[in-house]
Amino acid sequence: MGRRQRILKTGMVLFLCLFAIFYLFPYVWMMAMSFKPDGEIYSVSIFPRQPTLEQYKRLFFGYQFGPQYNLQYKYGAYYKNTIIVTLISLVLVLFFDALAAYTFAKFNFRGKTVLFWTMIGTMMLPIYATLIPAFWLFSKLHLVNTYQALILPAVVDAYGIFLLKQYMETIPDELLDAAKVDGAGAFRRFWQIILPLSRPALGTLAIFRFLMVWNDYLWPLVMLRQEDMYTLTIGIAQMQMRQGMVVWGVQMAASVLATVPVIILVMVMQRQFISGLMAGAFKA
Amino acid sequence: MTVVDISQLRREAIWSRLWDRLIPYVFISPFYLGFMAFMLIPIAFSLFLSLAQWDGMRSIELVGLQNFIDLFQDKRFWNDLRVTMIITVICTIVGPAGSLFLAVLLDKIGERLAGWLRAIFFLPSVTSAVVITYIWKQLYSAEYGYINAFLQRFGLPAQEWLKDPNLVLPSIIIMLIWTGLGWDALIFSAGLKSIPQELYDAAKIDGAGDWAEFWHVTLPLLRPCLLFVLVTSVIFLLGIFAQIQLMTGGGPLHASETLSLYLYTSGFQYHKFGYASAIAVILTVMMFGGSWLNFRFVRLEV
Repeated sequence: MGRRQRILKTGMVLFLCLFAIFYLFPYVWMMAMSFKPDGEIYSVSIFPRQPTLEQYKRLFFGYQFGPQYNLQYKYGAYYKNTIIVTLISLVLVLFFDALAAYTFAKFNFRGKTVLFWTMIGTMMLPIYATLIPAFWLFSKLHLVNTYQALILPAVVDAYGIFLLKQYMETIPDELLDAAKVDGAGAFRRFWQIILPLSRPALGTLAIFRFLMVWNDYLWPLVMLRQEDMYTLTIGIAQMQMRQGMVVWGVQMAASVLATVPVIILVMVMQRQFISGLMAGAFKA
Repeated sequence: MTVVDISQLRREAIWSRLWDRLIPYVFISPFYLGFMAFMLIPIAFSLFLSLAQWDGMRSIELVGLQNFIDLFQDKRFWNDLRVTMIITVICTIVGPAGSLFLAVLLDKIGERLAGWLRAIFFLPSVTSAVVITYIWKQLYSAEYGYINAFLQRFGLPAQEWLKDPNLVLPSIIIMLIWTGLGWDALIFSAGLKSIPQELYDAAKIDGAGDWAEFWHVTLPLLRPCLLFVLVTSVIFLLGIFAQIQLMTGGGPLHASETLSLYLYTSGFQYHKFGYASAIAVILTVMMFGGSWLNFRFVRLEV
């Protein structure tokens, strides 16, 4: 490697590292604010002079200021709701997506092409194409403020079927035929052969869906009216203005707790996620 | 005895054949039930509502294309369309260009460091838009935001980032580009890795400089990636909602109001479901149009 190239490379490394620090700044700021006491909230130093867990405590035990004001947040409930909705919808969507993908990948049946393309045709549609009728439907079914309202639409996922079908088509038919000769029914073949072999694709899809439901905002905003049913995103959004005051510290603490576990999870599963993402990118 | 056996066997065979025929439908039916209930029927109903007036309570009144005629005479609609287009066009040009640059640089440094940096740039893609928006709102805050404090330290005047009609869109656009940079860079990185080294070697032998190499080898081979990135960004940006609603609520004076926000306000605050559905139809058409344009553009230009 020539001298000129070495300098160039060092320059690039330097630039990228500086840029990354700059890029990371909003996260640093979020963390910093969540550990500041009220008196320092508006100071511009990154490191709190007197770091405190006060803002985190307030999320769970309320916020007393002045003699008559006591703000209570149901942060525990937001967290619980988000976990319940995310996990249940995740299990259901993976199962039904995989079952449908298996059928499209390994069976021939009348109407297959039409059914498949109807599904693909709606894959790119924005939520706005269904928002108002779906809102009306769920209100008529008295499902406003329920888990079902958040879970049911999250289980219908054409993209996942598409992704899994691409993957399952690479599983050799001989494996399935052998199992069939041994007397395994269609569902047994799915459960014992297809599902275990599709684990990489299922993992990718799981992270996708997890992020999508965990971070969703518009649909829960339309569906949730009671604070005990709020998910994290709605809860954090509603914290902004409470009794006419902005509570940045509490809000940043809430944001940290809602974000950091997700970041850790994705980092742990990073390799899987990124390879799946890339595979998806080229096929789509 | 034998006769009975045979007829029973036959009956079983018929049953199992029938079951084999049915089984695919059984397997896809849960999905298609949900698909009908939460996608197909609502879409059809949306299209129908766009031709009607309805407040959700009284009976639906068909009005033909009246909603669209009203929209085209609605100043707020044109303003919101302009805002949506400004955000979409600027972000889809600057964002992918920046992330491509980033991906190319990341491709040239050591893989270990590049992996870490990619992970950092990817963080906003796994963070809720709500959280991102509030952090930036805090940074942009006029009285106590970090950005103004920073400017003032260097003797520059503080700005009303979110309350000045001329600054509000650039402020939002910067946040949006920051958000999407890592995701796009990751996809470009994947594309760069799939380009065989021999092609670069061949270009070197032909005497191509860095720039020629990028222009004649890298870019043409990144075409599928580029298309994917452009199409996904256009669809994402045209529908942008949480960021605008929470950052400014569309203000000051609709200066940052997008069509999606207008749709939400018309539907869920004014209960003009027909009008809101008409906006939804227009938004959907715009998304398809945007995707189509990208397909054409990428095929022709590169």
